[in-house]
Order: sequence, then C-alpha cells, then structure tokens
Amino acid sequence: MTTDGDVPAAMTFELLKSVPASAAAAAAARLGRLALGGRKSVIDTPNYFAITSRGVVPHVSPDNVARHLKTGGAYMALEDFIERPQQNLERRPPIYDHPSPNGRPLHSFTALPTSLITVLSARRLPAVPAPLGNSNRSVSIFTSTGFQVLTTKDYQAAVEALRPDIAIPLADLTHKELTPTSKRALRMAERTDDWVREWFADQPDTNSPNPIATFAPVLPVSYSLQWEYIERLSEDLISHLSGLAIYDADILPDLTSSTSYGNLNLLPRLSVAVPASPHHMLRQVSLGMDLFTLPFLNAVSDAGIALTFSFPPPAQAPSSDILPLGIDMSSTEHQTSLAPLAANCTCYACTNHHAAYVQHLLSAREMLGWTLLQLHNHAVVAAFFAGVRRTLAQEDGEAAFEAARARFYAVYDPELPAGTGERPRARGYHFKSQGGEGKRNKPGWSKLDEAEAEAKAQATGARAGDVAGGEESKPDADVADALQRLLVSGGIDTPVTPPDADAEELCHKGFAEVDKQQ
Amino acid sequence: MWAARRMASTTSASSAALTFELVAKCSTTRARASILTLPHGPVNLPLFMPVATQASLKGLTPEQLEDTGCRLCLNNTYHLGLRPGQEVLDAVGGAHKLQGWNHNILTDSGGFQMVSLLKLATITEEGVRFLSPHDGTPMLLTPEHSMSLQNSIGSDIMMQLDDVLVTTSPDAARMREAMERSVRWLDRCIAAHKRPDVQNLFCIIQGGLDLEMRRECCREMVARDTPGIAIGGLSGGEAKDDFCRVVACCTELLPELKPRYVMGIGYPEDLVVCVALGADMFDCVWPTRTARFGNAVTKFGVINLKREMYAGDFGPIEEGCGCPCCRPIEQEGAMGVTRAFVHHNAAKETVSAHLLTLHNVWYQLNLMREAREAVIADKFPAFAHEFFDRLYPDRKSYPSWAVTALRGVGIDLLKP
Repeated sequence: MTTDGDVPAAMTFELLKSVPASAAAAAAARLGRLALGGRKSVIDTPNYFAITSRGVVPHVSPDNVARHLKTGGAYMALEDFIERPQQNLERRPPIYDHPSPNGRPLHSFTALPTSLITVLSARRLPAVPAPLGNSNRSVSIFTSTGFQVLTTKDYQAAVEALRPDIAIPLADLTHKELTPTSKRALRMAERTDDWVREWFADQPDTNSPNPIATFAPVLPVSYSLQWEYIERLSEDLISHLSGLAIYDADILPDLTSSTSYGNLNLLPRLSVAVPASPHHMLRQVSLGMDLFTLPFLNAVSDAGIALTFSFPPPAQAPSSDILPLGIDMSSTEHQTSLAPLAANCTCYACTNHHAAYVQHLLSAREMLGWTLLQLHNHAVVAAFFAGVRRTLAQEDGEAAFEAARARFYAVYDPELPAGTGERPRARGYHFKSQGGEGKRNKPGWSKLDEAEAEAKAQATGARAGDVAGGEESKPDADVADALQRLLVSGGIDTPVTPPDADAEELCHKGFAEVDKQQ
Repeated sequence: MWAARRMASTTSASSAALTFELVAKCSTTRARASILTLPHGPVNLPLFMPVATQASLKGLTPEQLEDTGCRLCLNNTYHLGLRPGQEVLDAVGGAHKLQGWNHNILTDSGGFQMVSLLKLATITEEGVRFLSPHDGTPMLLTPEHSMSLQNSIGSDIMMQLDDVLVTTSPDAARMREAMERSVRWLDRCIAAHKRPDVQNLFCIIQGGLDLEMRRECCREMVARDTPGIAIGGLSGGEAKDDFCRVVACCTELLPELKPRYVMGIGYPEDLVVCVALGADMFDCVWPTRTARFGNAVTKFGVINLKREMYAGDFGPIEEGCGCPCCRPIEQEGAMGVTRAFVHHNAAKETVSAHLLTLHNVWYQLNLMREAREAVIADKFPAFAHEFFDRLYPDRKSYPSWAVTALRGVGIDLLKP
C-alpha cells in the first residue's frame, strides 16, 4: 500500500503491514516506512524521535548525536528559539536569519546532523501551562525570558523561515492535566479547525526544493467533540496532509473504526501524547501509533536511571520477581561493577564504559554521567522499537506482538524507578515556579562568604589542576568567576569543597590517617 | 645492552617507565621538541595537558577527548581519593579502567588542595595535619598516603607530595623550610612508591621567587634522578616577570634529557613564553573552566559568547580553527556549530559548555602542536612573533613581561 500521488512530495509513508480492516479489531499495530523527499533518511516505524531542549538533545553534543544517538529525528519547539533578551527586547530571533546551505535553517542553526529529520511545533514537550491561555488568533508560549503571545500568522511565518522537515500547525491546547470542559473542548476544536484551514490557505510555496510536511494536530478531547474538525481533515485537507500529530492516543479507535477515514488512516501518526512508560508505548503501538516522542526519556537520564527493558521481553518463570524498567545508577551498589549498564546492550556507553564509572560520575555530579545515560537510554528505546518492528514483521506478527506485549506487562514493573541522584540544574525555561515551592536546585555552596574565601584561596595559590596561572589582575576575575558559578553557569563545576566525610571514612578511603600525636 | 646504549645517547634517555627523546632544539631560544614515551604510549612535547579533575573532562567523552589528539590528561588525587576512594580504585583496577581512557594520566599529589581548602590544615614534618571537617578528628596526610593513592590510581606520571607555600610569601625562613622539606618528602615518596617500573614519579622544584633557593632545590632534586621534573609553586599571583625568571633559572640547570613540567600554567601567552624558556609540559583548568562560562579561547584572544553581540553571529567560534565545532561543515566529523548557536545555549544547556570545552582543549593542544612544528623547522622565533601579532592589536600592547622574558632567550618581539 502506498499513499496516493496527492500527498506532497515532502514525505511518503508506506504501510508495510497492518491488520485487515476487520470490523472487530479496528485499531491495530502497524508496520511502516517513512521516506523524506530529497533525503536519504528512511525511518522504519514504529519508531521514536528524540525531544530537544533549545535545539539540543539534552547533554548530547551534535557530534555525539551523529555518532552514537540511535534516533531518526528530533522534536523541536519554536518557543525555545524566540525569547526576547532583556538587553535587546526588540531583537528579531537570530535563528530566522541563519544561513543554511541545505535550505533548512532550523537544521543548520542547531547543528543537527542532516541524517536526522526535524519536527517543529510551537511548544516544548511537556509544555509549561500558560496562565493567560489562548485567544482566537494566538497561543501563549513560554520562552526562557517569560511568556509571550504567538499568533497563528507568526507561527506560520516562523515555520516557513525555519523549514523543518515536519511541522505541526498550532492547536488550541490547555497543556493541563485536567480534562477541559465540553464547552472549552468544543472551542478547542473550532479554533484548531480554523487555524489548520488558515495554515493551508496561506501556504505560499508548495514547490520548494525543501518541502515541509504537515502533521495535523488531533486534539486530546473526545471524538464526539472534534469529529467535525476530523472530517474536515479527512475530506477537505487530506491532499495537503502528510501525517497526524496525536495528542491523545485514545482517539485512535474512533479514527480506525470509521470507514469514512480511509485516507486519513493511511497517514503516519506521531504521538505527542506523552506516554508515561514503555507500557503506555506498547498500548499506543497496539492502537496503531507509528511515531513517538518520549519526554520521559530525557527525564530518566537526568534522574540517573539506566533503562534496562527490552522487547520482546525476556522469557521468565512466573514465580520470579517483577523486573524493573531501569536501575538507579546513583546507588553505591554499582561502585565497583565493571558490568555494562544493561546486559547485552551495544550502545556507546555500555561498550566503552561500565556501571562503576557512571556511578562515579553521578556521585561526583560530572556532566558526562548524564551524557552517557542519554546515549544508553536512547539506545534502549531504539532497540525496543526495533524489537517491536521485528515482532510485527513475523508471519503471525499481530498475534506475536500481542503475546509479547502481554508478557511485557507481566514481566516488567509498570512504573519507572525514581532516581535517588541529584539532577542537573533546572533552568527557567523548564518549569514555572508556583508559590510555596521549595528550591529546585541545590545552592552551589551553602554560604557566600565561604565561596568567596575558596575563590580567593584558588586565585592566590593556583596549581596543578586547580586554577589558571595568575597575572596580578586575575584574582579578581577568578573571584568573579567563582561567584558567577553560584548564580548561573554553563555547567557544573568541580566541587572543591572540603571532604564531606568523617575520619573513619577518610581513613578507609586511604585519604589520610587519624593523627595520633594530637 | 640496548638500554645501556640508549642511556648513553645524547638525544634520548630512558628510565624504568619512560623514554625521553629529544627531536629538535630551537637554534635561538631554549625551546625543544621531543617525544616522551610513557606506559600508555608516546606523547609529543611541548604539550598541554587538559584537566579531567574527577576522571572526566567536563562533559566530553573519552572518545571526544581522544579525537582532539590528547594522549595525556590530568586527574586529581585529592578528588579521586574522596570519590570514588582508594578501595573502589583498587577494585576497578585504577583510573584508566575507571574512566575508559587508554592513554596516559598524570596525577598531582593532592597536598595542595588539602592545604588550600582545609581551614585548619597545618604542615609538619610528618605531613599535612588537619581536623576532619565532619567530626573534628585530628587527621594526618603523609607523603606515603599520597603515593599509596597514586599507586592505586595507576597514573603514568605521579607527583611527589610537596610543601607548598605561596610564592609571594615574605617569610624567607618558612620558604626555605618548605623547600628543604619538599626534598625530604621526595625521599619518602621515592621510598614509598610501590610501582616504579610502571609509574613515573616526578619531583617538584620549590623555593619561591628566590632564584638562589630555586637553584639549590634544583641541585638536590636532580641528584635524586626522578624520571621527570616539575617546577612548582608558581602561578600563585606573583609578578609575571618573577615567574619567568624562576622558570628560566630552573630550565637552565635541569638535565636536557628529562621532561620539564611547569605546573598550573595555561594562558596561551604563558605557554608560548614557557616553551621558549625550555619547558615541555603544562596543565591548567582555565581553558575548560572558562568554557563553562561561555568563553572561547581563540588565536585572536578570548571571546565571551554569552554577550548579546554574538546572538546573530553565524561564523564559526574561531575562523580557521580545525576543531570539530569550527571546521568547515563539508569536512569529516565537522558539526557546523556557529557562535549564534553557542550563545543560544550558553549557561542554559550543558551542550554549549561541551562545545566550548571541545574547542578550547583543541585550541590549547593545537597551539603546542604548532610550537613543536616550529621548533622542528627551526622557525620558533617567527612562530612567537606571529602568535603575539595575532593576539594584540599592536606591539605597544604586548605585555612587557613577555617581551622581557623572550628577549632573554634571543627573541625581540618589538623588532621584526
């Protein structure tokens, strides 16, 4: 089955296998292949895209993305690029003017390897709810310098300028956990309907050598409240659509059970539904989801968790314990373990390093710990989807997949473990603080005067591995540097604090001995 | 017999765990190019050693560090002694295994950090006495502890525990005591060193800014015939002229066929001047630390990419640089990173810090590669001229200490 010639050249999606549309088993897992016009990238589905923060996969530099990150694409949010800096409130976001030899400024600005495809949406995943809400012509977004209003026109112009491979038009979303009232839900559908129609009415150039594939948003409200919008997609807009961006997977049975959405159901489906765990992912696969964005992935790496699940799951005797989805690498039990993070894993972290090193890095708060966990966790998820595809590709794929899925549920703990390690510093664009909350980040030092004293000690007595060689003018600069570290810095500094250990531990570690003369 | 012949050679010398081979000498200055072969492979001198304090170079994978050409980096004994600790290091099999780094490691002795960071530390003949910050128990850190830890780390180059005093201290008697004690502690370190066949112990020349005391220390230390020699106690706020005088005074006395390491040096100007004065090895956290504050070290000076002026600057971090961030996108392994992108994430996402760390380490290593090539081609004076010419707007702005120091070894920066 190939989609017909009306689909824009931006992208083709081929369904290799899906269950015959029997009335009973309407929503079903499917196997597909996504190909991009003019690019070599082919993505076999089901699969996933990495979620970026400010254009980067957190903790993974672009060279490591190219070499070691096993993902087919990257989800980016426009709100990460268009803040208004205090010093220059009128600034036009520089990204709009970034030169791009391949005609894709979003790619070029973020130095993303060209083999990866980009998905651009307005908001981060998950998005911080805005206090103001949306209007008929705009949505509220949250940049690193605060909330802004983004009009539908501005968003469309931004997409045109940045030229992602895939764009998701604006949808009227609340980004809150509470289900919207029917009245609000209806208005969401109406506005989104307006905005998506407007999107296609205003599309200037559909013959660009660098086409943009549109994935129409499908709202996280019940089918009965958005069926008119969906019909519009299916009847009027289908020839413009390359895919669907689905905010709640529960809509899939309604879509697939309707015989009138034949064409719509041939489109690739991207989940922007924030599945909380692999169990949810499998459920969505079984409902016919093709592509996933997985916010929990960056979060577990920050929490010091190494994922350990695989698909199909290991065969296990019914009596044995439930397997964890991941392990807490901060735990001291890994201190001397030369084992990989997960058995048989072939990722960069597991083939070059071991659990003891990751444990050490987390305990020392070295940034590399999170980098290695990211490379590992993305590899685990990539292998998970490869396993899903292999299973579906079997002769009795559907049954094999369902059997393996049931076993996965039986074998693995449904909850991801909570890490005990300290997380990287949270930044202003990650969250909106609420009144009465505690501090998100531990202070770099407990007292300012101590930090100052330390900085001075370093500035005046620098040596091997400590601080720079000093000109007389430098001590001040070093104090300033150290103080700056307290406020904000590009990374975490080596804690040059006195040993936080008692005498017994210092002796045990071979650091010193108890002084018997005193 | 082979070893004996090598020993007698005028261009190379071996000790149990290293070989030093002099490749070329500058015909004007004291700059030298050499090959130092350590237990984990050869390194070309002169050399800058990036500092991977806690067995990790600030977000870079060992693979990324290796790709910059780095073959010798630092770990800190003080930090590794606290985390992960000796027991873990022994169980894992040392720091190379811990961090997946199959090249060379140098460790400092840990004494300096103890003295500077612990408020109640006092130095006595036995060692560094301090109160455990946690429970106030009196503790003692000795040269033997430092050797034992460095043996567990398994570093290719270990540093002796020395009695460090700020060079600017006016107390001449205390300075002499520190110098003499450092010599005695070297003897204790040599006696306590359990693996001299696979780990090299370097001595550290002390003596503050008193050149006569430095000379005396050089004679004492050289007599103990360690495989390499460090010049210590510098870069602690002394005048740059004094600093250069001390380096020049020491290199004049040190044996030609041993590596000379000036500790804690990292500003590009310092590196070039010290190479001219005959030093071979340097280390400093400045390039990697400053990267985390958004600073890029370039041949035209240091730029802070957090500044608003770089928000729309779509050029590479440094035009003409060959690091993976800067080199043209068509080339293998190039990322095509722009200043605008680094600015975008500076102090926000760790990736910007990683990119600048990568760039700065590459810059420092490359500066020393270029210096080495210049020595081999016997064009080091021209190299030094070009270096200062690019860094400063005109000759009037050259730092006078550098002009003076280089004049002392036959380069007049103010003349073409």
